[in-house]
Amino acid sequence: MPSVGIISNPASGKDIRRLVAYATVFGNNEKVNLIKRVLLGLDALGVQRVYFMPEYFGFYHRVIESLSGQHRPALEARMLDMPIEANQSDSRRAAALMASVGVKCIITFGGDGTNRVVAQGAGEVPLLPISTGTNNVFPVMVEGTVAGLAAGLLATGAVRPEQALVRAKKLVIYINGRPVDSALVDAVVLTDQFIGSRAVWDTDKIKQVVVTRGATTNIGIASVAGGIRHISPEEPLGMEIVMGDADAPLQVKAAIGPGLIKKVPVTRHKLLESGQRVTVLEKPCVIALDGEREIQVNRGDRAEVELSLEGPFVVDIDRTLSTAAAGGAFLDKK
Amino acid sequence: MLEMTYAQAINAALREEMRRDSTVYILGEDVGVFGGCFGVTTGLLEEFGGQRVLDTPISETAIIGSAVGAAAAGLRPVPEIMFMDFMAVCLDEFFNQAAKMRYMFGGKAKVPVTLRTACGAGVGAAAQHSQSLEAWFTHMPGVKVVMPSTPADAKGLLVASIRDDNPVIFIEHKVLYGLSGEVPEGEYVIPLGKADIKRKGSDVTVVATAMMVHKALAAAQTLAGEGIEVEVVDPRTLSPLDKDTILASVAKTGRLVVVHEAVKNSGFGGEIAAIVAEEGFDYLDAPIMRIGAPFTPVPFSPPLETAYIPDENKIIAAIKEIL
Amino acid sequence: MALTKEEMLAMYEKMLLIREFEETVANVFSQGQIPGFVHLYVGEEAVAVGVCSNLGVKDYIASTHRGHGHGIARGASVNKMMAEIFGKIDGYCKGKGGSMHIADVELGFLGANGIVGAGLPLATGAAFANNYLKNNGVAVCFFGDGASNRATFHEALNLASIWKLPVVFVCENNMYGISMSQKVHQNITDVSDRATAYGIPGLTVDGNDLMAVYEASAEAVKRARAGEGPTLLECKTYRHRGHFEGDACVYRCEDELNQWKKKCPIERFAARLLEMSLAEQDELNVIKEQVKEQIKGALEFARQSPLPDVTELTKDVYCD
Repeated sequence: MPSVGIISNPASGKDIRRLVAYATVFGNNEKVNLIKRVLLGLDALGVQRVYFMPEYFGFYHRVIESLSGQHRPALEARMLDMPIEANQSDSRRAAALMASVGVKCIITFGGDGTNRVVAQGAGEVPLLPISTGTNNVFPVMVEGTVAGLAAGLLATGAVRPEQALVRAKKLVIYINGRPVDSALVDAVVLTDQFIGSRAVWDTDKIKQVVVTRGATTNIGIASVAGGIRHISPEEPLGMEIVMGDADAPLQVKAAIGPGLIKKVPVTRHKLLESGQRVTVLEKPCVIALDGEREIQVNRGDRAEVELSLEGPFVVDIDRTLSTAAAGGAFLDKK
Repeated sequence: MLEMTYAQAINAALREEMRRDSTVYILGEDVGVFGGCFGVTTGLLEEFGGQRVLDTPISETAIIGSAVGAAAAGLRPVPEIMFMDFMAVCLDEFFNQAAKMRYMFGGKAKVPVTLRTACGAGVGAAAQHSQSLEAWFTHMPGVKVVMPSTPADAKGLLVASIRDDNPVIFIEHKVLYGLSGEVPEGEYVIPLGKADIKRKGSDVTVVATAMMVHKALAAAQTLAGEGIEVEVVDPRTLSPLDKDTILASVAKTGRLVVVHEAVKNSGFGGEIAAIVAEEGFDYLDAPIMRIGAPFTPVPFSPPLETAYIPDENKIIAAIKEIL
Repeated sequence: MALTKEEMLAMYEKMLLIREFEETVANVFSQGQIPGFVHLYVGEEAVAVGVCSNLGVKDYIASTHRGHGHGIARGASVNKMMAEIFGKIDGYCKGKGGSMHIADVELGFLGANGIVGAGLPLATGAAFANNYLKNNGVAVCFFGDGASNRATFHEALNLASIWKLPVVFVCENNMYGISMSQKVHQNITDVSDRATAYGIPGLTVDGNDLMAVYEASAEAVKRARAGEGPTLLECKTYRHRGHFEGDACVYRCEDELNQWKKKCPIERFAARLLEMSLAEQDELNVIKEQVKEQIKGALEFARQSPLPDVTELTKDVYCD
């Protein structure tokens, strides 16, 4: 039975970047509308079951209740049976549960931070990341209906995985030799001592950066790398950047937040290859992963960041839809 | 002396106080560009600018609530509530916050808010734009209640209200806005809590407020032709009330009629009657008479509204009943 | 914005002071030593301390029925607060206000408030006054998720937004309006969602994380001082005790309470200070002892203070 998972983060799009930058406010009721359109897209292509992650806002109930009228889909929606801790571990556990029940794809609604933890739980199950967060490099801005169609094509087998999927890179964080966390886009070393309000906006505190990709079209730290050298999501390379002060040899103009364009001083930078590890130079420090402060590194710890080419599989929406269209998947000839 | 209307007198008081004290500001619905629903604040925006004459959204709660907060923080706001009936929308801000703040905080707060509002029937405004609700506020410790009946009183009492450190509700009668009268030029302050004898007489005391002062004066004029001398007392401030002037008048006349436009039931007239009964019983030669509106909402249709508002004839009848 | 060790320890001490104060009040209340009723702030300390640590002398706060924490965080004297709760003459209000009306306007504390949601327009007015007087001061209003359903919330946010007033609306979302769960009292879970309707920034932070509250409110206050207008800052938190002392809490489960106790803002901050070697356990112990002594002193002060003379009854109704 073709099935798909839905992980919508009720906390995405609400952090301090509404204040320190000009980030979009993405209300949860708007996410409900978006999920409804995705569901109708899935339904149109014959996906029969959808699993929702339970969370405090209650996307499952709200979506199902408001689709109970004239646009009621035929598919069956279920909520995963799991405890809610109201933190990011929910998304990780939900993704693992979805993988274990055999979903063909997990559609995420959040930002880079949400996808980071979903990827940690999803294993080989591909993600279709829809942007509803703040610092979005990994997920895409896409109309929900179209995303639903793409996921439906993959889930029902109308498009084969090798035609639909690309593999993302990731960064693995080691503390004292043990892998403790991972990131999809960037790991940023800050002089902060607290995770606090999580976001990263004060460039003076950034000491070192490792990225899996870099483009000037990105918002966030990846745009610093992009200003130095473009690194596409497919290219098997990453980059380490060590920040400096106002006298640094290189000043990179970068959009480090929505509406927040700053000159970032760079002391040195180098390309990284698969498996290469970078040592964190500043301690104690906080490491932000994909835009959110996550790891507190104490003075005595050894912290390293490694580039890996074995990140999550991701649905390429354009390719999936164009492959399907070329094969006549949208035609019904009489 | 200058001849001006009641509305112009209020305008003059606002203007003079705003010139004198930079912490005085005005806020309310349509008080700026529009000059106030009854034209009372005309020209103030032009003179004082949008920082001191603020048009607000239709948000009575925020108008009074923010005025109370600003007053506690050092300003002298003069908010306007367009119709007194709307006080029901922001009563908490005035009653539970402004009125009690000083007492609740052990005497360590000042809330110098002067809330201006328009009461009164007679313009076909019906049940939600015509009431006289002064008795709600005389029941509130911490609030002063002012109700002027003439242009001169309006000016002198408004100046005193704005300078007062307590929350004051300054109740203007909308039918009086066009009334002309002589008003002293320049600084003119009437202390709050001082009644005014609007006509001297020896046979009967009529205590009347706002519009009813004029009805009582008309009745007194008529009765004078019959040889009955009516003394008309206008308390002007209902809280604090000038009991002494009322009691002295009753001591002289031996008879008391109280008249207000508000409904008679639980009206402020009951308070005046009770005070005289308690403290001036020996002066009385006849029962105290109360005149007020019937116990109904204010009606719309002209004959009903006319019948609702106490008039000269009712006052004459009441006086004759106890003479 | 980096905090010094002294500042961090001062914030730790303030949170502890609130906790100790509240637990002491709970204790003496249960022994029948306090008249009336009290609403305690235990569990929410990081919000008051995180926010108030960003305020200066010209700034105002407006508080709620659960106001002891806000007062202490603003710098009110615990002696005078305790005396007020005991109804004594040396209390902040000479015993005329009690727990729900402790205030010190001079200190920029516009008072606890017995009316849910009443502080929102008051703080808006105080912000207006600061703006009017051009003194660069701001105002902060604390209120709960329950109050966000009141007309005062709507009118105050609307007025503050059109006038760009320097005010920070801090929603302490403790998930219950008295007994009614937020799940059933509003059709949203993040009160900050409502900011969009007023065209102002809204954000949500972990209200049990002192540094998250501190950082977010620092930015909101900075924004207010810069003339950029109001912010709606939602802090998700939880009251360890009932709505009032004596509340049987039939509307929530023990498990939920225990989960939140694990997220105790004071223990979390202390653990972080130790992990980061910002403080030694000995230092924290010394602070704890000092706080205990201070509250013991406050209790003694309150007990020693005379009850008001009945002649006080009719004083302070009006200014002379």
